[in-house]
Amino acid sequence: MEPVLELQDVSMSFGGLKAVDSLSFTVRENEIVSIIGPNGSGKTTTFNLISGLYEPHSGDILLKGESVAGLRPDLVHNKGISRTFQSLRLFTNMSVLENVLVGMHSVTSAGPFASMLRLPSVRREEKAMYDKAQEILGMFPGRFSGPRQHQPAFSLSYANRRRLEIARALASDPVLLLLDEPVAGMNPAESHEVMEQIRMLREKGYTILMIEHDMHVVGGVSDRVIAMDHGVKIAEGTYDEVANDPQVVEAYLGKRAADATA
Amino acid sequence: MATRMETSSGRGTATAHRGAAVRRIASAMPAWVWWLAGIAIAAGFPLLNVIGVVETAWLRVGVVSLIFALLALGLNIVMGETGLLNLGYIAFFAFGAYTTALLSSPKFEIHWPFLAVIVASTLVAMVAGFLISLPTLRLRGDYLAIVTLAFGEIVRLTIINLVPLTNGPNGITGIYPPRLFADAKPALEGIEAWFIIDKPLEYYYLVLVCVVVLAVLLTNLKNSRIGRAWNALREDELAAISSGITAVRAKMLSVVLSAGIAGFAGSLFAYYSNVISPESFLFMQSVIVVCMVVLGGMGSIPGVMLGAIALQALPQLIREAAGAARSDFEVYRMLIYGVLIVVMVIVRPEGLLPDKIFRREAHEVDPRELEMTRQSLFDLEEGEKDLEV
Repeated sequence: MEPVLELQDVSMSFGGLKAVDSLSFTVRENEIVSIIGPNGSGKTTTFNLISGLYEPHSGDILLKGESVAGLRPDLVHNKGISRTFQSLRLFTNMSVLENVLVGMHSVTSAGPFASMLRLPSVRREEKAMYDKAQEILGMFPGRFSGPRQHQPAFSLSYANRRRLEIARALASDPVLLLLDEPVAGMNPAESHEVMEQIRMLREKGYTILMIEHDMHVVGGVSDRVIAMDHGVKIAEGTYDEVANDPQVVEAYLGKRAADATA
Repeated sequence: MATRMETSSGRGTATAHRGAAVRRIASAMPAWVWWLAGIAIAAGFPLLNVIGVVETAWLRVGVVSLIFALLALGLNIVMGETGLLNLGYIAFFAFGAYTTALLSSPKFEIHWPFLAVIVASTLVAMVAGFLISLPTLRLRGDYLAIVTLAFGEIVRLTIINLVPLTNGPNGITGIYPPRLFADAKPALEGIEAWFIIDKPLEYYYLVLVCVVVLAVLLTNLKNSRIGRAWNALREDELAAISSGITAVRAKMLSVVLSAGIAGFAGSLFAYYSNVISPESFLFMQSVIVVCMVVLGGMGSIPGVMLGAIALQALPQLIREAAGAARSDFEVYRMLIYGVLIVVMVIVRPEGLLPDKIFRREAHEVDPRELEMTRQSLFDLEEGEKDLEV
């Protein structure tokens, strides 16, 4: 399978702190890759680098062979990378439906004057957007049905907000979906459901790179796992390979624990 | 709407829902009924003057109110929709007014036809908006407010000092009345007289048509991808740009569009008042337009129009009430505005006719949202269901 995302020796530092140090990995088409690592190991920084919020100091980030390193976030999104945030960032005063429609901004084209006059082309586009939004919200059965779509996002339960963020990210049919801790703060049953949904997204052909602390979820959905510590990739492979890697055990539990397993 | 009512009444507590249902029907109608009622009242108002119930002074207030309604609609785009505070908005109004004054007055003996002048005025203001947006759009919140405030003052002081072009503090006088399909000279004889707009009544209807058309266009825009992009930027800029919205372009569009509307309104104002001078473009005027938007309800198109009309009509009302003491009134006008805004912000921060988004923002618990909250308790039930999986 061809690589969708390729990081080549990407480095980024804040002052003297190397947040990401010569990081290289690839994500292939229709694959689910998880990044794990202790807090402060550079996982979210990596996401911010990929999605254009930070510019790497060195190295390159390729999306389907095309460099996206240092592009503005909106341009990166236009190229087909969409993401969710670890700390939820919904448009809380806008309705559920509007949140998803905003996610389609880059794949729609109605201009200001056409929109003011509500030309037939604009109406057609709005109708198509609405149908598409229904399709996406329909992927979360029972969660965003009927009148709920017109409720403000802030009125949703925590788990539903996380779901809505994923729905917003899906709205633009991304080539690569970045999920930053999709099950953070969820109870086991809810995270189980999200796990099912992530599997379903793969069946639909999406490629997913996610950060996750919940090892149950990581083990349940990942094709490959990348472990990071202090900005460096310390292990890569299947879940079992990584989980038994002495360096990973050391990063999480300390040197003595690592020696004990070895 | 209907499905929501079914689900909610299906969830028991029927009595509590009956009141809500009535409110919902009342708030489901407005789209048609309120708009038509508003237009009917606005269109019928001058007839009171024709039959002699109200003085012509009121008609004049009506014209200026409607011109300010245009301004408030324009400012609402940047302030209400995109969330950028502009304290120098009146500068764009000045650009429009002075462009009109120069292109249609004895100052340079230029007499362009009405439509050409109004388009030119709009474009000049848009260019000004574009130029000011280049350096300022990187700023946020307070900083943007200060820069726009300074911009407004710079424009006013430039007008005062650019005497060869603007006549400085004396202003430009004798602006020709608007003529549709005009030749190069002011029409002094009666030929084509009814193509000339020079009576308050005619101005009133001219401006009213403009207000209604603009309100419709902006309502469409608000409910389009552009309007949603503006709202998204206001809600959470980082999330908005990460969702593919080009912040600079969207903000620039909102600034340029609002500037164009102010230029358009300025053109009508110059035609109507016949004389323009820098006094019409004081910082206080910018503040008053901001007050109109806040009073009426940020982000709400009917709201800001109502706010503009209310604040313009208020001085006249008080003047009439004060009767003999009318000359004193101007001294207290700002005091009354100030008190009004303070009371408004405390009692009803979302404005007279609020937009749904701002109603949510202004109150942590809004009675109208309670209905929805009751629905989202459904989420809790679902959560319990989740635990059983």
